[in-house]
Amino acid sequence: MGAAFNVENLTFKYPSSGEDTIKGISFDVLEGEIFGLLGPSGAGKSTTQKILIKLLEDYRGTIKYFGRSLNSMDNSFYEEIGVGFEVPVHFSKLTALENMKFFSGFYKKTANIQELMERVGLWEYRDVKVGEFSKGMKVRLNFVRAMLNNPRVLFLDEVTNGLDPKNARIIKDMIAEYRADGGTVFLSTHLMNDVEQLCDRIAFCVNGRLVETSTPRELKLKYGKREVKVEYRENGTIASAVFPLDGIGFNDEFQKLLKSGKIETIHSGETSMEEIFIIVTGVELK
Amino acid sequence: MSILIKLAMGELKRLVRYKILPVSLATAIIWIVFFLFLSETEALEIAPLLIIVDAAAMSILLLGASHHLEKQEGTIRTMMVMPVSLGQILTAKTAASMVLALESAVVTSAALFFIHGITFNYGLLLLFVAIAGAAHAAIGFFISLRSRDFTYMLVLLMAYMFLFTIPSFLLNLGLIDVKYEWLLMLSPSHSASRLIISAVTGDFDLVLTTAGCLYLILLTAVLFKFTVYPMFKDNAARG
Repeated sequence: MGAAFNVENLTFKYPSSGEDTIKGISFDVLEGEIFGLLGPSGAGKSTTQKILIKLLEDYRGTIKYFGRSLNSMDNSFYEEIGVGFEVPVHFSKLTALENMKFFSGFYKKTANIQELMERVGLWEYRDVKVGEFSKGMKVRLNFVRAMLNNPRVLFLDEVTNGLDPKNARIIKDMIAEYRADGGTVFLSTHLMNDVEQLCDRIAFCVNGRLVETSTPRELKLKYGKREVKVEYRENGTIASAVFPLDGIGFNDEFQKLLKSGKIETIHSGETSMEEIFIIVTGVELK
Repeated sequence: MSILIKLAMGELKRLVRYKILPVSLATAIIWIVFFLFLSETEALEIAPLLIIVDAAAMSILLLGASHHLEKQEGTIRTMMVMPVSLGQILTAKTAASMVLALESAVVTSAALFFIHGITFNYGLLLLFVAIAGAAHAAIGFFISLRSRDFTYMLVLLMAYMFLFTIPSFLLNLGLIDVKYEWLLMLSPSHSASRLIISAVTGDFDLVLTTAGCLYLILLTAVLFKFTVYPMFKDNAARG
């Protein structure tokens, strides 16, 4: 599997800023994977994404897009990428369908607008002005907008923020299908649920530096406790016990508890992504 | 259809949907009613002023309104990630704002002809309106990009009019001595005014008119290349 993006020693400073916002980060986004960039507000996630989508250009370091220098790419680069911004990006006085038709008119290769809008439940509202849409509907339309050109790489920023669980599930399923069809996703989010369910690999960005890059599974193993917590009923009350995971098959006390049939719950000491976020970034999620 | 035409058509469609074009047209029609009560000489004196107001101040105002609406809606950012160049986006926006100025010139010219039978060199008027409109579109972008919101943009527009437009009106009303006209040509409003008055009245000062044309073209090029283009890109990236 080759790299969709290969980023080496990326550094960026806003002209009005006293210090570098991005401080020499390096990472790869592999073709066909969902790569999550996580971090607290102001950590440099948005700036990194803006550099990768060529909205910001005066960076130092090397960025390669499928082996070609990003700097050498002209506007045809935008034929290949789809960008889903966190905030709504539509003309409020135009209908949803007018918006989608306007944007899709600039691409050589386009997706089926009706199919996409039907999938996210917006086709029946196609003739409604976007200004009359709820926040969730605008978020779903943002996703359709990002998918309009059948992109090779999809950039998504807080893609399910503001969606109810049912619609969030639909969007996540579509992202998973897109990846299964060979698409590459660069996901920027603070919603750990999305990270856990979607990302193949994640990187934590703190104060312009990448402090950890790994798979969700490896991170859970690294930051989790190798133990098993058992809750069981004893004398009419709930009691609990914790056993080390190593050698649990030979742990007499644990085996005895298993055979007693009094166990109500068993949990491994796996750490949640939320806890890992707090440990790695030192910032509480709000 | 070329990308530029698609972008320009999109701009025009939005000018209609956002009621900017219909309001501009309605304003031009109100002026026509005034012509019914004016003599031929009075109408000929007033007409250039109406065209100048639309080509200059109204262009800046309407472009600013459209820019701040799009900023609120975030659409500028999403257009920056389409396979179109920033130059094409700015050209389409400028063309759409010039339509407002040209529409006013066409309506005013038609009113002068049908009400008073006045004719003049329409081709020259359209050329001059286009030059003045492009320069004021560049000024409109500059003011909009310098302002954090629409209210602040109005303050900057007032300051611009106080500095550049009012002295031009005072000169046209004879309240400023004509010996200062060369100095006043530094005002984009006055250069535009000189061009449009020349085209409508046929009263040409070849040197002043040529200087006005060259100055406005140069100003448009300099503003777009060195301020509007980089500021627009920076604005879109920051969101």
